[in-house]
Amino acid sequence: MSQEHQRDCIEVLIEKARNGQINRRTFIQAMGLLAAAPLAMRSGISWAADGKPLVVVNWGGDALDAFRRSWTDSFSKSTGIQVRIDGAGPTEGAIRSQLASGKPSWDVVDVDSYSAMTLGRDKILQPLDYSVIQRGQVAPGQSHDHGIAGYLFSYVMAWDSEQFGDQGPTSWADFWNVEKFPGKRTLYKWMNGMLEAALLADGVPAEQLYPLDVPRALRKIDELKPHVLSFWSSGAESQQLMIEGEVSMGAIWSTRAKLLAEDSEGRIRWGYDNAFLNASSWAVLSDNPAGSQEAMRFIQHALQPEGQLKLFELLGNGPSNGATQKLMTAEQREADCASEENFKKQIFLNTEWYADNYATTLEQYLTHLSK
Amino acid sequence: MSTTHSANLERSLLLIPLPLLLLVFYLLPFLGVVGWSFTLPEPGIEQYQRIATDPAIHDMLWRTLRLCLTVSTLALVIGYLLAYCWVFSPPFWQRMVEICIFIPFWISVLVRAFGWLIALRSNGVLNGGLMGLGLIDSPLQLTRNETGVVIGMLHFMVPYALFPLLSSMRQLDQRVLLASRGLGAGALRTFWQVLLPQTVPGLLGAFIMVFVFCLGFFITPVLLGGGQTVMIAEYVFLQMFQTSNWGLGAALSVVLLALVSALIWLLLRITRVNRLVG
Amino acid sequence: MNTHKTGLSTRLLATVAMAFMLFPLLTVIPVSFTSKRYLSMPNGNWSLRHYEALLGNPEWMASILQSLGIAFATSLIATALAVSFSLGIWYLRSRLATVLIGLVLLPMAIPPVISALVLYFMETNLGRIAPGFGYDTIPGVIIAHVVMVVPYGVVTMLVALSQIDRRIELASRNLGASLMQTTFLVVMPNLKLGIASTALLSFALSWEEVAVTLFITSVDVNTLPRRIWGGLRDNVDPSVAAISVLLIGVTLLVLCARLLLQYLADRKAREATTRAATAPA
Repeated sequence: MSQEHQRDCIEVLIEKARNGQINRRTFIQAMGLLAAAPLAMRSGISWAADGKPLVVVNWGGDALDAFRRSWTDSFSKSTGIQVRIDGAGPTEGAIRSQLASGKPSWDVVDVDSYSAMTLGRDKILQPLDYSVIQRGQVAPGQSHDHGIAGYLFSYVMAWDSEQFGDQGPTSWADFWNVEKFPGKRTLYKWMNGMLEAALLADGVPAEQLYPLDVPRALRKIDELKPHVLSFWSSGAESQQLMIEGEVSMGAIWSTRAKLLAEDSEGRIRWGYDNAFLNASSWAVLSDNPAGSQEAMRFIQHALQPEGQLKLFELLGNGPSNGATQKLMTAEQREADCASEENFKKQIFLNTEWYADNYATTLEQYLTHLSK
Repeated sequence: MSTTHSANLERSLLLIPLPLLLLVFYLLPFLGVVGWSFTLPEPGIEQYQRIATDPAIHDMLWRTLRLCLTVSTLALVIGYLLAYCWVFSPPFWQRMVEICIFIPFWISVLVRAFGWLIALRSNGVLNGGLMGLGLIDSPLQLTRNETGVVIGMLHFMVPYALFPLLSSMRQLDQRVLLASRGLGAGALRTFWQVLLPQTVPGLLGAFIMVFVFCLGFFITPVLLGGGQTVMIAEYVFLQMFQTSNWGLGAALSVVLLALVSALIWLLLRITRVNRLVG
Repeated sequence: MNTHKTGLSTRLLATVAMAFMLFPLLTVIPVSFTSKRYLSMPNGNWSLRHYEALLGNPEWMASILQSLGIAFATSLIATALAVSFSLGIWYLRSRLATVLIGLVLLPMAIPPVISALVLYFMETNLGRIAPGFGYDTIPGVIIAHVVMVVPYGVVTMLVALSQIDRRIELASRNLGASLMQTTFLVVMPNLKLGIASTALLSFALSWEEVAVTLFITSVDVNTLPRRIWGGLRDNVDPSVAAISVLLIGVTLLVLCARLLLQYLADRKAREATTRAATAPA
């Protein structure tokens, strides 16, 4: 086949595909035969007759590009299913309104594990199909009927060694001890892990944390509040507070702590001891437009170690699939919040407690902050 | 007869398109939201009772009112000053005012907030300057509290306050001002007794716009308030998107609507500017 | 010159106010040259990477153009609607006016978060009847923006109209002019500044709008504010600062050009007067 002729064939195929004369599978197969699969991917044809592109919703920013490079590009390549990433932010309310409109346009969402549980109970999400998704790829406790951990992240304690030298804080009790460790603090505005930190500081043993004693935790937070400069709500904000030396200690994301340590050339220090590990889960909307099977296949694809490693390299988020550890260097494992070594040092946030109590407790928590 | 009739028809043709558009695209779907406030999570007026009795909500409403009033008043003062300068100064000053209005507009609110955080922090430019001059002993806490929120919002609102003031002042009969000065009135007296009363419609329009805009504002308070200055817009966001209490969010916006309507009505009454509404 | 003038103290105060308005320039310019991947002052490490990223990434440019287009269309439609409505109210002078104004100002008095939901439900339904005008389409965004910004335009227009002498309408009508002639030839010329303010205001509001846009768009429409705010929870890209600096540059260029043209026109006029004055009778 001459090159000219091949190109002509491809053009005819694309034309036919655009007019809906052939379906996606035929098109992909034919393009494969013509060794033009990459071109097929780029041709941007929407398959009205044979499924819509899968819409994956995350929190935007750097994650847009990172998801594309880790998961969606490779998924499209191997299945021919197109994926579009929407960075609108899948808050619980936004997902509910998708369903309430009667015409959801989202398929797969990246949400907190407990949100997936809450929304699943309200039938806003569909049960995951564990015949397509291999549930055993993630650790027990990191999957439930409506959500499976896509990656892990952690709330750690970071401190400024310019203030404390090598004698830095080692426990949440130290974090609360403003006499021994003077300076301002920063805590997370959306509460994850903060009540746990307060209770640990108040002497509750780690294994007896749940169910959380909310009034006790809030009293402890009130105690620290005069010394809290800011309750951060974005990663960038927490980073700014630490790097500018506005606070001497903060409870922040491990990914940010790692960047801070690098940017400050070791001035900001941190560790995984007593940190709070949380899972971000994949979930699928009920009646999702692009089809249930396509969504499940995507989630299964996103749990594979290669993509998980890629995401770790791009964003620093911990892989939920333990098999990824084997692909990592020792140095990477040391930084990874999900590695066996680090996992043991941390406390895993209790998904069920959060699913039952997050909404009501968050309101109380925020009331305490703005008093 | 027939001519009046057709003239009325022509007038209606001018009048009707906008209300019709808003009726279909906004009012009807909004009635659904009003419905939620009585039906979610259970039918009844439980959400309104909560708004009437919950001290945390009262705190939040009071903070909202306090901050929005402060910002609107300051924005009006600065806007008035700049509008006055624009109308009554030589071209050079006019261009300067224009630059001051258009340049901030291109700077994203996010970058502006970052700028204020950098400039106002305890070891920042402003505190450094004030301490260098010996005006203060220890740095002032200017951000991550209500002060920071006011500064950030004020900066955003000034251009919006300026527009109605500008058109109001431009249309003023300048001869009246000259006459006042000519009759021996001082600058201040001319301002209080002649200029200000004549621009009341502009002030009123600017105030309503800026105040209402402030009520709906929520990113600047989030970024500059240190997470501790939750106002109504963020509170409603919280109810709708974080805690999924749609009934309360809906009820709050109905209450807000009632408050805003009452405020506008009251202002029109006090200032007797019925001219503004036909 | 026979006009009212600002005094020294006024100008001094105005200068302080202007310094306040221009204050963010002190940070936005350095931030756009930071070498870090997040918003920060360069602290000696100046870099052009965010300008390169901006110019090398067609998506930013596409978003800027999309936002400009939407803001332009919104401004045009909203201004036309606001002007026509306010004139209607002005001519009508009836009790009904208060009710209609109330309806028209509604989207302004509702928290934007609620408006976002309202418009989202409206647009998903609209999308069923007219697919090109609903959720995640540019016309859909324009409709939503018009709804959101038009109340501000109406307030501005009512302010402008409140200071017009009603007798000009009567005089014009008595001279036999039709309503359209009266409107276009007599009333509107007196409203030039009001209309311009309305148009500018609508443009500005649409350009910055994000609460509603975030909700009614998904993957096909990505306005500049949406692209910027998407990273809020995570990381704000310093390219945002670079965009600001570029847009400010363009604005200054336009303003300077205007200043120059005005200067040239003034000089010409002056020369003409001098020539007329010195010319022999």
